[in-house]
Amino acid sequence: MSGKAWTGLGIIAVTALMLFAAIDKPMVSEMQGAAGARELVCLDCHRRPNVNTNEGVATSRAFCFSCHATPESSTRNLDDRNISLQVEAASFQNSPHRFVACVQCHTDVARSPHRTDMGAQCRDCHTVHGEGTASAPHLRVDCQACHFTHEAVMQDGDTDRIRLAAIDGAGEMPPLTGRVDHALQDTTDPETCRRCHHDQNAVGAPAAVLPAKSLLCVACHPASWSLNHPLFMLAALALLVGLLLMVRFWFVGSVKGEDESLHQKIGLTSEAVWNTLFSRKVLIVLKTLLLDIFLQRRILKESVQRWSMHALIFVAIVVRFLLSVFTGVLFSLNPDGDLALALIDKNHPFTAFFYDLSGLMILLGIAWAAVQRFVVKPPHVLTEIKDNIALGLIGLLVVLGFVAAGARIAMTGIAPEVAVHSFIGYPLSRLMDLLPLDWRIVYPWLWYAHAVVGLAFIASLPYGKLKHVINVPLTYLLEEVDGTDKSKRV
Amino acid sequence: MQEHHPSETSVIRFSVLHRFLHLVVMVGFTGLAATGLSLAFSASWPARAFMWLMGGSAGAAWVHRACAVITYATVVIHGLWFLYYKWVLRGRLTGPHSILPSLKDLKDLRHNVGYFLGTRPQAPQFDKFSYMEKIDYWAVFIGMNTMGITGLLLWFPEFFTLWLPGFFINLAQVLHFYEALLAIVIKFFIHIGMAHLRPAVYPADMSIFTGRATAAHSGSNPSMKPEQ
Repeated sequence: MSGKAWTGLGIIAVTALMLFAAIDKPMVSEMQGAAGARELVCLDCHRRPNVNTNEGVATSRAFCFSCHATPESSTRNLDDRNISLQVEAASFQNSPHRFVACVQCHTDVARSPHRTDMGAQCRDCHTVHGEGTASAPHLRVDCQACHFTHEAVMQDGDTDRIRLAAIDGAGEMPPLTGRVDHALQDTTDPETCRRCHHDQNAVGAPAAVLPAKSLLCVACHPASWSLNHPLFMLAALALLVGLLLMVRFWFVGSVKGEDESLHQKIGLTSEAVWNTLFSRKVLIVLKTLLLDIFLQRRILKESVQRWSMHALIFVAIVVRFLLSVFTGVLFSLNPDGDLALALIDKNHPFTAFFYDLSGLMILLGIAWAAVQRFVVKPPHVLTEIKDNIALGLIGLLVVLGFVAAGARIAMTGIAPEVAVHSFIGYPLSRLMDLLPLDWRIVYPWLWYAHAVVGLAFIASLPYGKLKHVINVPLTYLLEEVDGTDKSKRV
Repeated sequence: MQEHHPSETSVIRFSVLHRFLHLVVMVGFTGLAATGLSLAFSASWPARAFMWLMGGSAGAAWVHRACAVITYATVVIHGLWFLYYKWVLRGRLTGPHSILPSLKDLKDLRHNVGYFLGTRPQAPQFDKFSYMEKIDYWAVFIGMNTMGITGLLLWFPEFFTLWLPGFFINLAQVLHFYEALLAIVIKFFIHIGMAHLRPAVYPADMSIFTGRATAAHSGSNPSMKPEQ
């Protein structure tokens, strides 16, 4: 056979194969008619422009705009209301999203029937805010509620989320499903927060914009790595000065025979520390840290009752501190991880339960100590004014914390099945609901009261009774490493 | 201070601060080199294995930046130390205890080369730091600044191109890569060779870890009094 004949046969064979393949698969129209059960994803068959290039983005968007550019072609009837799904092309012009294709955010719309279940997927590219920018209560706020220029917001009864709303003719606020200006709000302007944070808001937000929890709050709460309010800076300064004075005091006396030069004293001390850490003595340090400092063996030897009382306060604070630091580090490393999201969410069952339980432990320990001090009065308890201040500070701090938590739950109206994991905060919120107070207005005051007492607690660490938090472990370590005779203890 | 010394002739050569900073640089620099080389030679199998361990390029990038921050922090602390040395301790930056280069280093170099070639009968008596140690020190000190500046350009290109032309990013990329190779080769071959493989201290000079050295081992003049 000639070459031409072979070519002809080849063409026939390929055509036959293609026909066979086409016949084997039902036509698109047949499928739609068949059930409507299986939806069709356009991009399964159709080529998608490369949206990583500006040309691809323009091509892809032009396809969407062929309908969504005009009200006539994009009005739909939803829940007996005519809703325009028009998107203003102009609103992209100055937005950071001007080089992003529609389908990169609206990931589930390229299908038939043409509708969305998920809305825009901001978090495919962006992470949620940590404590620094918009703290945990904002986890239930849609990104668009703050970041779009549209002003009306509402609490969606079905999902409990805060989302954009439309204001219809009757003055009611149905969820906004229609046309949205895609221009973005300048969120560096604090006035943006006033969209929710005003007296009459309907979304359960406090009436004031509260600062983010600062670095100092990490003693008990997941916090931001910043000091963004004068109160925090003041407390940090007081803490720093106190610590410096404390260290200065340690070096007043003579160090290993050196009386004069501070430089030499610090040199000799650091030399001793270095030689301890890089020798077998480090085992003594570790042992002391575990037994005497973390498990508080020495207090246990004094009396089981004193150990239990002190451990209630100490263990709870240490565990809160460790979990808060862990949360902060984890969130910095991987803000999208399930664990980090659960730990910064005050309403997550574990987080709510853990912080309520540890708060209760501290409160019980304080109450126990107060009873010892003022009612039982055993001979070894010498009450000084310093002790009362320390006990009062911590007690007040925890009480205010619980009251603020109750007010937050009452104010935000979290569903009981979620809120109940905060087993102190939730019952408290039920009781507080009975009071004729507007918690949106009271909550900021409670928050500041808790913050001020908390800052007083942190700032007083190097001054009053709480100095023992630093001094006692240090003394234990020095005694164990240097082998000081324990009978010499004061 | 003498009574704390393990042996009569040993002197404190590095303070605890300097020992600690050296440890930090060791860890930070190694981390930078491992993550940086894995990016630069990403097709090679050791790089792929390392990236897999780091959880992909994003994890490695994070480690690289964290190491960069702590390594550069040591440069800043060393800079502050100079001020402290000069203004608080009243030390002489041009004195024999100083790490700053001096004319004597050139003479020592000439003397030492003569000793290697057999034209001089004895090795030179260095001050506290020999010219080799000074080269080691300043190579890192200056190198970390170039790496820091070019690294910042690559870390925040949007910010820097607000006021620099775009080709500075390309320049930074090239400089960052070649300076990195240079630093890695110098640190892992020249520095380790000059510090540890000298006959006087072979197999290792532990003074940067223990802080102590005998006068003979450190190569410095035995008649030189320890600094107060």
